[in-house]
Amino acid sequence: MCANIEMMMRINWKNRETDRGGEMNLQVEQVDKDLVHKFKIIGEIDIYTAPKLKEHLAKLEQAEGMEVELDLSEVNYMDSTGLGVFVGFYKEIKAHNAKLVIKGLNQRLYRLFEITGLNEIMEIEQIEGGEDDASV
Amino acid sequence: MEHGSSIEINTEWDIVAARQLGRNEAKETGFGTVDQARITTAISELARNIYLYAGKGVIKIEPVRAGQRAGLIITASDEGPGITDLQKVMEDGFTTSGGLGAGMPGVKRLMDDFRVETEVGIGTTITATKWLH
Amino acid sequence: MPQETGKQYKQMLKSFLRTQGEEDLYLGQQFSRNFIEKKIAPEDVISLHKTSIEELIEDLPPEVSISFDFLIEMMIHYGLALKEHQSLIRKQEAIQMEMDIAVRMQNTLLQTATPEVQGLDIGWISKPAKQMNGDYVYFLNETSSQVCLAVADIIGKGMSAAMHMSMVKFGMDSLRYEKRSPSEVLSFINKMIEKSISDSMFVSMFYGKYDTDTATFRYASAGHEPALFYCAAEKEFKLLESKGLLLGVQEEAKYEERTVKLEVNDFVVIMTDGVSETRTENGFIEMDFIENLLCQVKSENAQAMVDYLFNELSRMQDYQLHDDFTLVILKKTK
Repeated sequence: MCANIEMMMRINWKNRETDRGGEMNLQVEQVDKDLVHKFKIIGEIDIYTAPKLKEHLAKLEQAEGMEVELDLSEVNYMDSTGLGVFVGFYKEIKAHNAKLVIKGLNQRLYRLFEITGLNEIMEIEQIEGGEDDASV
Repeated sequence: MEHGSSIEINTEWDIVAARQLGRNEAKETGFGTVDQARITTAISELARNIYLYAGKGVIKIEPVRAGQRAGLIITASDEGPGITDLQKVMEDGFTTSGGLGAGMPGVKRLMDDFRVETEVGIGTTITATKWLH
Repeated sequence: MPQETGKQYKQMLKSFLRTQGEEDLYLGQQFSRNFIEKKIAPEDVISLHKTSIEELIEDLPPEVSISFDFLIEMMIHYGLALKEHQSLIRKQEAIQMEMDIAVRMQNTLLQTATPEVQGLDIGWISKPAKQMNGDYVYFLNETSSQVCLAVADIIGKGMSAAMHMSMVKFGMDSLRYEKRSPSEVLSFINKMIEKSISDSMFVSMFYGKYDTDTATFRYASAGHEPALFYCAAEKEFKLLESKGLLLGVQEEAKYEERTVKLEVNDFVVIMTDGVSETRTENGFIEMDFIENLLCQVKSENAQAMVDYLFNELSRMQDYQLHDDFTLVILKKTK
């Protein structure tokens, strides 16, 4: 009988996942060492996944002299909501005199930072051999 | 004589036990098959909420008599996180969110009276009554 | 449940068991309206059926009878979900009504008249992906020889973008009678927005000023998509890029200002990313795709060109816009 219930719960859970159309496709890996925090973001950053990323970054306790590195080499798509998360995070970092580096940008993402003028105020790095554009 | 009974909810098995208890009590009070099933479903939802969000709690089932009317009172209490936005929990559509308090509008529909007392960080007590018609 | 309903149901079931006729089924269908009118829940109907069949068939196997209890249990939950669904639909209707009012308000607030300018043909479109628009087009006709336009895109879509947009609109209105250059306008709006915008919000804006006497277009961009310039003599497109940070990110920001001179049949195309980032099932379109579309209609008037691009690009997205779509074309006619 217990197995039955477990089956039921799995059914419920599965429905809930599909309700969201499988759009929650984003992972964040974090490595911390002293004052250096490295995040690797994997997936698409859009209106559905941006809140998850924002929440994840918000958990980081800001400290003076801290360094944050965001690796976007496995992000193949980002919309303006995603850009908003980085703008918000940048403001917070700046307020704490910390340092932010965004690296691993593919050509398309790099272009997005360029058009928006964010490349002038943030430290960003294009992916090595950044010619290939993963978004198409 | 008070012949009500209560059951502690700690595991999923206890939900099943609470259902069984509820069905027996409902039968004894004189409810028909369909109302027995309604009361049981309500108990099931309440117990599941305790199990999922408070971890543990108690379901109490007791017969009640008010003048000519007889019925059954179910009390679900826990010392869990409490419900922050009661209005939201009672809104239709919240059930499918799967969050704390999911299924409450359903319990309210299945029973005749329904009352929630909750305090964040302290816990929640839900009282639901079904009257014999 | 009324006893009368129970009796009638049993009677009808009895007749059907005997004849299995269509007439009984038709009666049954009519009868089911009773259940809805009398607010009899699905589980009650099954219970009614169970009682009736137990009475009608003497040696009914007990398992069959018990199986109805299982069905009753299921239908209770099903009935709840159904009621909840109905209530959600009513709620949705109420929200829709409020939304309609908001949309009408936004339309009133943001209406802008297409200016009549000597020698310059202006065409434009701005369509929201959802009900409220996060894109914004603003024309200002200071003198008969000058026209200014702003195209803005507020991050996100829908209600939130629309509410932030009214802020941009009031900023623009307050500049109405001041003769400011594009970069000054952007600096002013940036300072204003930066104070009141939330941390992860921003606005991109393209601002341009066309002077009929000199036929020059002076422009600046705050993190906005570059505009396209078509040079008829060279039959070539160029990007009108100019450096500048998004509005609302930091208080002090510099905006580069550039000019381009228009000859007859040259045109400037200003758009939001809802146009340039059109996403089809084969990925994103490239700028040369837009250039090709424009080339096909380059001899039409500005509004016809705009409409053509909108139709083509929305068709490619199966007429479901993914983002707010705004396109302005300025074409020199003489």
